[in-house]
Amino acid sequence: MVRVTVPSVLATQAEGRARFDIEAETVRDALRALPVSDLLFNELGELRQHLNVYVDGTDMRDSGGLACPLAGAHEVRIVAMVSGG
Amino acid sequence: MGVMALVGTRKGLFLLRAKDDHRWRTEGPLLEGWGVYHAIVDERDGTFYVAANHTTYGPTVQRSTDGGKTWRRSRQIGLPEESGLILNATWHIEPGRPQEPRRLYLGGDPGVLFRSDDGGESWEPNRGILEHPTRDRWFAGAGGLTCHSIQLDPRDSERMYVGITSAGTFRSDDGGETWLPRNKKVAGDFLPDPYAEVGQCPHKLLLHPASPDRLWQQNHCGVYRSDDRGDSWLRLDGNGLPTGFGFPLMLDPNDPDAAFVMPEKGFEYHYSAEGRLAVYRTRDAGETWESMSNGLPQQAWAAVLREASAFDADSLYFGTQGGSFFALADGAWVEAARYLPPILSVEVTSWSA
Repeated sequence: MVRVTVPSVLATQAEGRARFDIEAETVRDALRALPVSDLLFNELGELRQHLNVYVDGTDMRDSGGLACPLAGAHEVRIVAMVSGG
Repeated sequence: MGVMALVGTRKGLFLLRAKDDHRWRTEGPLLEGWGVYHAIVDERDGTFYVAANHTTYGPTVQRSTDGGKTWRRSRQIGLPEESGLILNATWHIEPGRPQEPRRLYLGGDPGVLFRSDDGGESWEPNRGILEHPTRDRWFAGAGGLTCHSIQLDPRDSERMYVGITSAGTFRSDDGGETWLPRNKKVAGDFLPDPYAEVGQCPHKLLLHPASPDRLWQQNHCGVYRSDDRGDSWLRLDGNGLPTGFGFPLMLDPNDPDAAFVMPEKGFEYHYSAEGRLAVYRTRDAGETWESMSNGLPQQAWAAVLREASAFDADSLYFGTQGGSFFALADGAWVEAARYLPPILSVEVTSWSA
């Protein structure tokens, strides 16, 4: 079981929930299980460009990307990239 | 009975309500944080529909059946994988005809049209537009490749129009199966052939509801009128308009010869022509134009976007990228709200307390 946290705009789109406890083998599976998964991926199944995903404090890009295994992981944090405007 | 304006901004939706006293009350932001490219009330059942886009979370359609208190997101919206295209933005929602309950149309970027037959839960891409034989001659302008205008002929359930930047105006006479380019005599000064079959850049296209063979078009290169369902166009911006460039277009539902535009200094500038914010009116089908600036700032370098104006039988309305919302009351413009986020869209509907 891993705890997935999402930022506030996504939480609003998930009826106010910001934390989800999910059984998943990979980051992709965990994100796909969220009720806001359609806001995370485009039609080609690619993660939207301006999202960061951290697994126990490590950027998933350094751990295999969406295929990053979650065995033993505790927290997946979705963070909107820093942006101006 | 009063008026409610749905004012879409870069940071959410605001509802502005006024009774006959022209005192406007502001509610919002709803859908906080979302860029509201277009918001409309479906007059058939009162549902709010919003083309809401987010820099991080992408394009959506949101709908509310309780006046904006709660929202539902369309679950099925996107382009088929084999098209190789990705939906970049949702731009305009057009409810179907009164005899077509639960049908809606959605225009988006990259130059795509969708139809929903279940009240906006799922959306099917229109193949005639998606696979149009001229698509390889369409290209994205500064705002994208945007299907922003969808007009339905109220007399003929098979006839409809779309306006797409920079592709042109298209008409369907068979319910959306096939689409005819309708850009004859419309200039595309930025094209190798300025009078090519496609590639022109309509900024806003409207059909007159009481005279549906008549179309008006604010284009990148001029203001135009058609009296034959888009088969030919007459350019109208030589007689009193400071420029032919602009985005908003408003009509008078009771007068097919009236139209209202807001000229800008041209495509390299995108602000009020001559440093004055003004609406220009014609009452003679575009023969002559006159300024309507009473109540507007004498000096302004404002930008009003293509969806950021609206009209009803009584008045005109527009919002600026500077966050000011104006309504026309007894011949003078009233700044009904200011300091909103940049305004992207305006629609109005009747409202009772």
